[in-house]
Amino acid sequence: MRTTARVVVPIILIVSISLFLQGHNLPGGGFIGGVLTTTAFALVYIAYGLDFPRVLGHEMEPAESVFEDPVVVAYRRTFLSGLAIAVGGGLVPLLFDLPFLSQTYVILHDIPIYHEIELASALVFDLGVFLVVVGGLLTVLSVVGAE
Amino acid sequence: MVFSLGTEVVFLVVCLPFLAAALVRPVYGVLGERTGYAGAAVALVCFGLLLTQLGTEAAVSIPWIPALDVSLRLYVDGWALLFALLASGIGALVFTYSVGYMHGESGLVGYYGALLAFMGSILGVALSADLIALFLFWELTSVCSFLLIGHHTEEASSRYAARMAMVVTVGGGLFVLVGFLALFVVSGSALGTETFSLVAMLEEPEAMRAALREAGLFVPALFLVAVGAASKSAQVPLHFWLPNAMEAPTPVSAFLHSATMVKVGVYLVGRLRPLLESSEWMLLFATLGLATMTITAMLAVAATDIKELLAYSTASHLGLMIAGFGFTVPYGAEAGVFHLLNHALFKAPLFLVAGIVSHEVGTRRIDELGGLRHDLPVTALITAVAALGMAGFPPFNGFYSKELLFEAAYEVAHAAGGLAWLYPVVAVFASVFTVLYSLRFLALFFGARPDGLGTVHRPPLTLLVPPAVLAAVAALVGIDPQFAVDSFVGWAVEPTALEAHEMHAGLPTSLSPPVAMSVAAIGLGAVAYPFYAGVRDAVRTLASVRVLRPNWWYDAALAGLDSGSARLIPTIQNGLLRTSVTWMLAATSALALAGYAVAGVSIPAYDGVGVSLPIVLVLVVAVAVTIAVAVAPSHIAGVLTVSILGVMIAVFYVLASAPDLALTQLVVETLALLVFLLVLEEVPEFYGNIDRRVAFRDVGLSVVVGATVFLTVLLTTRTPPGGGESIARYFTEQAVPGGGGTNVVNVILVDFRGFDTLGEITVIAIAAVAVLVLMTVRDGGDAT
Repeated sequence: MRTTARVVVPIILIVSISLFLQGHNLPGGGFIGGVLTTTAFALVYIAYGLDFPRVLGHEMEPAESVFEDPVVVAYRRTFLSGLAIAVGGGLVPLLFDLPFLSQTYVILHDIPIYHEIELASALVFDLGVFLVVVGGLLTVLSVVGAE
Repeated sequence: MVFSLGTEVVFLVVCLPFLAAALVRPVYGVLGERTGYAGAAVALVCFGLLLTQLGTEAAVSIPWIPALDVSLRLYVDGWALLFALLASGIGALVFTYSVGYMHGESGLVGYYGALLAFMGSILGVALSADLIALFLFWELTSVCSFLLIGHHTEEASSRYAARMAMVVTVGGGLFVLVGFLALFVVSGSALGTETFSLVAMLEEPEAMRAALREAGLFVPALFLVAVGAASKSAQVPLHFWLPNAMEAPTPVSAFLHSATMVKVGVYLVGRLRPLLESSEWMLLFATLGLATMTITAMLAVAATDIKELLAYSTASHLGLMIAGFGFTVPYGAEAGVFHLLNHALFKAPLFLVAGIVSHEVGTRRIDELGGLRHDLPVTALITAVAALGMAGFPPFNGFYSKELLFEAAYEVAHAAGGLAWLYPVVAVFASVFTVLYSLRFLALFFGARPDGLGTVHRPPLTLLVPPAVLAAVAALVGIDPQFAVDSFVGWAVEPTALEAHEMHAGLPTSLSPPVAMSVAAIGLGAVAYPFYAGVRDAVRTLASVRVLRPNWWYDAALAGLDSGSARLIPTIQNGLLRTSVTWMLAATSALALAGYAVAGVSIPAYDGVGVSLPIVLVLVVAVAVTIAVAVAPSHIAGVLTVSILGVMIAVFYVLASAPDLALTQLVVETLALLVFLLVLEEVPEFYGNIDRRVAFRDVGLSVVVGATVFLTVLLTTRTPPGGGESIARYFTEQAVPGGGGTNVVNVILVDFRGFDTLGEITVIAIAAVAVLVLMTVRDGGDAT
């Protein structure tokens, strides 16, 4: 199980990030990317439990309860900051006298390797979606899983 | 006026107190207990800004929810300005008084914050020209009142009173909301466009009345508004919350539960008077008002506590105002408006005096108090002016407005005859009790001083100046009422009046029937005063009958609800997931199906399958797998079979050219499988044999849920509003130019319908928080 996880998890993560980034033009997006990332972490969780940062060499104090576990706290912060990013990004257009959540995009030319990159402001909102999905699902998973 | 400001300034008046309420904490950090002066300054600024609007009659608006025609419309006229000036003026005095009264108390940040927010809400009620805004501010005053009554959160009686006030006034507010919706519905046919604008409705009262009658909504709307006004303005039988609300600190009682908040109902009645005026109107409000006036005046005589006496007396005077507005003769509106002003001028100082007495003497029991004029000479003088005004003695201010009520009652009775003669008779009867309790209150300061009374301190200036200012204004109105009428009150009457009428107020010069009524009330009161104890005991005996006490009904209703839900919960929420799910699914299906039945939807005609062979194959496999799930021999097999079903659906999405959905379906399926694997270890292998009845119920429920979902999909995907494919085509065409992405689904999610997505991720976040909270509560012991 652990061996499989070590091989599979990085692949899943890379795929999910690429899904997230290409979402605007090809199948993918914040929600799908988020769920896939959650799957990766769920796999880690099944293999190692909540102690996985120790596997990566981080020192960690054992927490008193699952709610204070640093990993769970991080999950919680993730979905909260995701929500903040989505709402905050939505508020920015108000400064330009546009309705809440208005989106726009710019296309950058002459970039090495990629030649042309499209920067859509919707990506910020999508990042918010991504973080909320990852943080929310993992919080539920780890807290309920601790039972 | 030296300078003139635009009407837009009233926006500032409404916003300023809320802004100040948000800043109370930092200000308190700097000023400490002197924060009250800052509050007084805010109130004074509002007062000054409102004064610049004297003589104006104008509406201003900023759009709020344009799609629903809801906007923040404010409107200034005499009636609105009178109410707003009272709120801000008395507010300034109450803030000053609070500095002295709340000295050394804790929780002052919350106290001043709620008081400021309350002032903003009451100014909002007064100045709103939009029914929705009016409703919102109306309920905000209830919330602030809840917070202020419950200021002493550690005391059970305080919490009980706060909850009661909340239940009664907010519940009444919901009636008002429904009444407003009725007005909104008929405004379409009456005014051409559906609108929440009160100003537009008041411009066409006849058309509105005709439309209401045509729709059969006139009496319901009238009744709903009356229930709301009665709950807020403590009319019988909803008056019982007001004496309980006296748990609040005394400045709050003076401000909210005498001068302003309880008058919101009266204010609304006065506001809607030209709109809903009719014979039903008079019957309803004149009867309601006079009944309240009588019953609560009697209860005031039976009171044991000075604040209780004042609370019942407040309800009684509110009844007088409601009755005044109820009489559809010119004197009626004049009585209502003038008494609203007079009552604020004499009742607020009386409350503040009650605060001084309880603060300096240490007791509020009527029987223990007496002869205080030696200890509190200035307070005694204030009380004399205010209490004689309350009793309606000439030449004090209350006399003139009560005289107007007598004139209105007499005129109505004279015109209608018969039973209508009860109106003047009841009015005089109630006034006798008013005289009785007013004299009793005054007697606290005269007569013999009981021996048990300890040393009495002199009140500080902050406690003395505010009631003195109010009593001085009351005395001025008493000396020259015609000046008050000419300069201000006459103008404030206009918006509530049905026809133009020259308003007069002054001492009577000849003995007309209404004057005789005043004489009779005062004379009978004075004659009966020596027998006060006997009258009081008689009323107490009557009031102790359980079924006559609304408070008992309230307690019984709450207890009934408590035990009812305690009995219901084990049936529908017994802690087992399957029970909850059963009830939830059944209820949802029932509601949806009932909705379809009521809306009378028709099932679209069957027009062939129209799908290709591969899709049919996939769907057949899916159906086969579904059956396999039901008969799976073990949990693992079942879960894996469910996964096959998920994959089949994903394949279906691919075939239907929806790669995004397919991808999502696959990923979610994987995650679900992982979660299942986590849980399966904990689930017992075998549950025992299934009860046949339970199985039967589950099968039935599944069929119903399936049918509901099927029907819903069939109905919602039929023809989108706006015609056929146009929405899909619009999104497809606009995706690249408008959103800059070729993935239409994603562009819709994050751009075109971004707000929906925001709602969805908020739901995810809330779900996560809910799980955290539930788990913490369970781990942390009891959940109180």
